[in-house]
Order: sequence, then C-alpha cells, then structure tokens
Amino acid sequence: MALQARSFANVLVIGVAGRLDQDNCEAFRADLMAHVERSAHDGGAVVLDLSGLEYVSSAGLRCFMLASRQAKAQHGRISVAALQPMVAEIFEISHFNMVFQVFQTVREALAAASNEAVAAFDQA
Amino acid sequence: MPRERISTQVVVVTIDEQALATHGQWPWPRDRVAELVSRIAAGRPLVIGMDIFFPEPDRYSPAVMAARFEGKAPELAARLRAMPSNDALLGAALSTVPSVLGVAALESSDARFAGPPRSPPVRFLGGVRDGLRAYPGHLRNVPEIDAGAVGHGLYSIDLEGGVARRLQMIGRFDEAAVPTLAVEMMRIALDAPLTVAPSFGGTIELRFGDYAVPAQPDGRAHVRFGYSDSSRFVSAAGILDGTFDVSQLEGKLVLVGFTGLGLVDLVSTPLGETVFGVENHAQAAEAILEGQFLRRVSLGARLEAALLVAFGLGLFFFIPRSNAQRSAALLVTAIVVAVGAAAAAFRFAGLLFDPVGPALGAIAVFGVMQAGSLAEAQRQRTQLREQAARMAGELDAAKRIQMGLLPDPAEIFVDERRVDVAALLEPARTVGGDFYDCFMLDGRKLFFVVADVSGKGLPASLFMASTKSILKSAAFTVEGSVGGVLAKAQDEIRRENPESLFVTALACVLDLETGELEYANAGHEPAWSCQPRGRAERLDASGGPPLCVLDVYSYPSTRRTLERGEWILALSDGATEAMNVRKEFYGSERLRTSLGWLGDEAGAAEIVARVRDDVRRFSGEAEPADDLTLLAVRWNGPESSLSAR
Repeated sequence: MALQARSFANVLVIGVAGRLDQDNCEAFRADLMAHVERSAHDGGAVVLDLSGLEYVSSAGLRCFMLASRQAKAQHGRISVAALQPMVAEIFEISHFNMVFQVFQTVREALAAASNEAVAAFDQA
Repeated sequence: MPRERISTQVVVVTIDEQALATHGQWPWPRDRVAELVSRIAAGRPLVIGMDIFFPEPDRYSPAVMAARFEGKAPELAARLRAMPSNDALLGAALSTVPSVLGVAALESSDARFAGPPRSPPVRFLGGVRDGLRAYPGHLRNVPEIDAGAVGHGLYSIDLEGGVARRLQMIGRFDEAAVPTLAVEMMRIALDAPLTVAPSFGGTIELRFGDYAVPAQPDGRAHVRFGYSDSSRFVSAAGILDGTFDVSQLEGKLVLVGFTGLGLVDLVSTPLGETVFGVENHAQAAEAILEGQFLRRVSLGARLEAALLVAFGLGLFFFIPRSNAQRSAALLVTAIVVAVGAAAAAFRFAGLLFDPVGPALGAIAVFGVMQAGSLAEAQRQRTQLREQAARMAGELDAAKRIQMGLLPDPAEIFVDERRVDVAALLEPARTVGGDFYDCFMLDGRKLFFVVADVSGKGLPASLFMASTKSILKSAAFTVEGSVGGVLAKAQDEIRRENPESLFVTALACVLDLETGELEYANAGHEPAWSCQPRGRAERLDASGGPPLCVLDVYSYPSTRRTLERGEWILALSDGATEAMNVRKEFYGSERLRTSLGWLGDEAGAAEIVARVRDDVRRFSGEAEPADDLTLLAVRWNGPESSLSAR
C-alpha cells in the first residue's frame, strides 16, 4: 500500500487507498509514522485522505490510533477526510470519530487546519 | 584444428618400401645416395635437406672394399684404392646444390664429435641466446660428406608423451646455435641471415628474410600440424630409375628421408596419426611458409591460472546468491566463452591457450560448492521444519489454552431455567484476539461480554487473556454501572500495554428476575435483539471508543427491559466483516435477513448455529480473515413465572 503525500502550506495530505488489514498494516504504520513525525508537529497537521480506502480492520485502526498519539505528543494535529460508507460505518461503530476529527472532504479538513492550507489547496 | 595444406613448396623424397625393394636394403652404399642427390639436384630445387644421418664412414667405400681384396686380388685392390670414397662422392653431389645436413642433439657429449658443430652465423638480440636450450653433445656427419653442405639444421623433436607437439626450433651447443632443419633449409633457400629476437608475451622470434617464426624462450615452438599428406611424397625409386620427372622439383624445398617400414622413424603427431619423422620437418617448413606457427605465450600458464581463479571466485560469489540452475547456466556460458576465445585465438592468431584445465577446475569447484550449498539448504530446511513444528506446537498449545479460558455456557447454566445462553468462537488463524465471557455476578445478575483485541496471533491472544481476567474482576468490584466496569477495566489494562493494543468490548448485565438489561459499548459491534413475534433489530450504537484508545473515558450505560422470550445476540466483527472470494462483506443487512428466518421459539444454540452457518456459507472458499465470535442470550422470564408453568 503506497502512500501519496501532498503538501498544502503547513498541512500534509496523505492519500490512503485499498484495504488496510493485518497483512499490510505494519508497512503502512511505518510509512505513516514517518510522515506524521515530520509534519504533524508544532501546529502542523496531517490530513488522511481516505477516499480510496475500502476497508480498515482493527489492526488498521490501531495504526490510525498510534499516529494520532504521535501527533498529539508533538503538539500537531491529525484528521481524516472523505470516508467511504464502509469505513465511515467502521469509524462510527468503533467510535474512532472520538479520536479523529472526521471531515466530509479534504478541503474542509484543510480549512479546519489553517487558512494558508486551504488557500494553497484552492490554488492547486 | 589441423593446419590445411596450402603450400606445395615442400617435397619429400622418401626411401620407401619400393626403393628398398629395387635398390637393396638399407644402408645403401653412399654412392647410390650420391646418385639420388645428383638426380634431385638436376631438377634444380631451391635446397635439399637431408633427414638422413651419416655419422660413420661408408663401409661400401672402394677403399674399405680394397682392404678385403688386398691379399687375393692386389690389382683389384689397387684400382679400388684409386677410386674416390663413397662419402666423397656424396659430399661432391651435395655441393652441386644448396644442401643442408643434420646435427642431432644429444643429452650427453659424444667423444667422436668434440667441439661445436658447424653452424650458420646467428645474430641474437636482447639476450635471448642465454634462454635457449643448450645441449651437451651432438652427432654430425662424417667430414667428407659434411664438406658438401652449406647449411646445418637441428634434428630434435620434443616428444611429450611420445607426441610431437613442440619442435626445438633452435638449440645451442656451447657457442654455436643451430636452427632446426626446416628453418635452415629455408634460410639457405632465401640466402638470408638468421636473427633471433625477443617478441611479445615473453616469446622469441626467429627472423630470416620476410619470415618470423615464433618460439618459446628456450627455443621450442608449437607446430601447427596438418594431416599426413601422401601427395608430398616422391619415392626415391622413381628418381633413381628415371620414371619421375625431376624437373617437377624445380624451385622446391626437397627433404630426403625414410618412410620404408623397418626403418624406425615414426613419430606420433598431436592429431593422433603416426607420421614419418621426415614429414615433421616438411610440415614445419610448410608451417613457416604459411606463417602458421602457434605461439604459446609465456603468460599462457598464468592466464590459465588466472582464469581458473576467476571462475572460482565467480562461483563463490554467484552460487550463494542464485539457484543451482542459474549458476550452472552461468558456468556453462563462461566455459563456452573461454573455449570459444581460445579456439578463436588459435584459429586467427595462432595463440595456444588451454581453457580445459580452468574449465575442469571450475566444474570441480561448482560441484563442491553445489554439494555444500545443498547440504546447507538441507540443514536449513530441517531447521525450519523443526522450528515450524515447534511453533505450530506452541501455537496449538496457545490455542488450546485460549479456548480453555472460554466458559461453556451449556455447562455453567445447566440448571438455570430463566436464561438460555449459547456461545461460539472460531479463530481465524490458530490464535486470535476475540473472546467472550459469561458468568453470574450474584443470584440474579448475569454478566456477559464479547470483546475483540486489535490484531491477531500470539500478542493479541496474550493480551486477550489478561483483558478477560481484568474485565471479570472489574465486573465483580465495580458497583453501579456496566460503563463503570469498562472504565475501570481500561484503567487496569492501560497500565500493562507496551504494544498499544486496544480492545473493543460490548459488556452487558441482565437481571434474570426483571429482564432489565444494562449494556455499555467500547467501540464494539452493536448487539442485536429480537422480541417474540418481532423483528431482529440492531441495538443503538452509543458508547465510546475501544478500551485503551483514549486515556480516560466514562463509558455511558444504556438500559432496556427485555420481554419474556426476547433474545440478545452479541457478536464480533468476524461476522459482519466476513468476506467471500469476491471480497464482498457479509454486512449487517445479510445478518438481519438471516436472523429473520428464526422462529419465536428459537433457542440460543439455534441462533448461534444459524448465524455461524450463514456466515460460513457466504464466505465459501475464502479463508476467514477474522475470528468469529457469537454469544446469544435468551431471557425466559423470572423464576416465579417458570415454576408456575
């Protein structure tokens, strides 16, 4: 599972696609943590664009949880955006929407992060 | 690759079976040899080379005969004495044409021939003279014959295992240096001086006229032999009786030698034929004419050794990094390339280089290494098998322990009529993170829970075991609400969670007397309930995130009162997120439909079996990705109502 990362001002948007489960979550976790360590600190933010994510298992949710903790420890922010219905239901049932701010679109997530970010997004 | 005969410059006049039959057995009187030489000379050849040796005076010379007639016929004896010796006749015949006689190299000195042989003047450049092979002794012809020759050539073929591979092109006798017969004949024919000079690769070269003959520093050379060719032979008989037209010899190099059987001068050449010794000289002469000499570069041996080392190192490097087929293919390619290169060097440059030794060496190295890596692979396989067996054994043990931790409701509630409980846990792969539990808190309160630890395998199952016992103890210690039980459990679990795992859990307490159900949800799949004559409904999804996701969280409790005969089904996501081969999910709608088929009187075991069967039927061939856990509780009503029946 390859991560697509795009920068908008101080916000990094990471596209997560496919299925995230026990089999591929370790590699995903390592990639994600590297991005979060670099970007989500001191006011910086990471937005996970889940529009391509079809399914996430509990092992995958754990990766999200660890990323969220890392961001919090670094005084950064992390949010998720553009969830497919299946993933949205998983987030709802597991109440991970108490862990992450969930946005309908990437743009909304950027807007919540900073004005510069959403401006950069609109220009792109 | 044998040399093809291009040149017909060389003719061999042979004293063969026919000549011996006509003119008597060998040795012939030398006047007859002289006649042969004279007749050849009449054909005006460029040069005559004698591969016949006359180290002693002829016993048929008139003077020798005279001694036998001295007493009996003094007149005859006197006339005989007056006649010239046969040796003188031969010498005279030889002097009428440019001719070359032989010097035979000896490994020890011969008292009859002290001092160096007559030799042509040879110029040496770059100190190559010192490297030449020096012979301690030699044989030469009697002085009368020798006087007729203008040149002297060496008879010495280096027989390696009886095979003439190398010809001593030039040899040293003290101060004198004598080139081989063929070289000397050609030098005389060209009337050119001979120079020996260093050449490339540590070899030397014999130069005369336009010719350059390569040789080893010791003076030996590899002759590129052709097949024996009878067309270069002319019988001495034909020349002596005049049936052979000697004008055909004009401008040729003529060698005179033996091929008659019984005259032992047979030599094996590397082509596996036995050729007459004289023909070696002829072939050498032709090879020089055609520039077909083989160079055994002195670097050759080192090159071969280097090639062997290169093959070996290549194999050392390649074999551990590749499979046997690829290594073998590489080896074969390398050998083919080496052999091809050697053949090309031989064919086009006359360079002699032997790739067979290195190739055999490389094959040996390959064999040894393959045997070694095969043994290593075998050892590793055995080790892996043992490891797998041990792991499987341990995982099986872990699975048995995990399953052993789960209570059997049928056993616990065997005497309980107010409630009907059934449960099932099917792990996806050996051990998993799901669990359920059910026990009585007191005489009327039933606690039951279904939980799922994130992840799978041993870490998840260990975490599951500790979580289960923590939940149980929290259920007994926390008074008040089920939400409080979850909060308390989270508090406990969080302290010993180095892997940051989390647990989803649905915990319920059912009052068996009143039917009052209180439940709290930590990120878990909501339970389903169904009233008699009603439809199966999913309970609300209120609650909080899984245990250990947030540091502190007060899980809310939800209450509802069950009707008599109403049942609750708690389950893990192994049901709704079960997948078929097309990667479709089972989903809650299929579950709802499946549950709809249950009758009002369906017991807990029937509910569990129905869902399990439906999920498995849906998954089909697909391997279960997650544990499947089901726990069904059907409330039959208070004890009083039941005993009234």
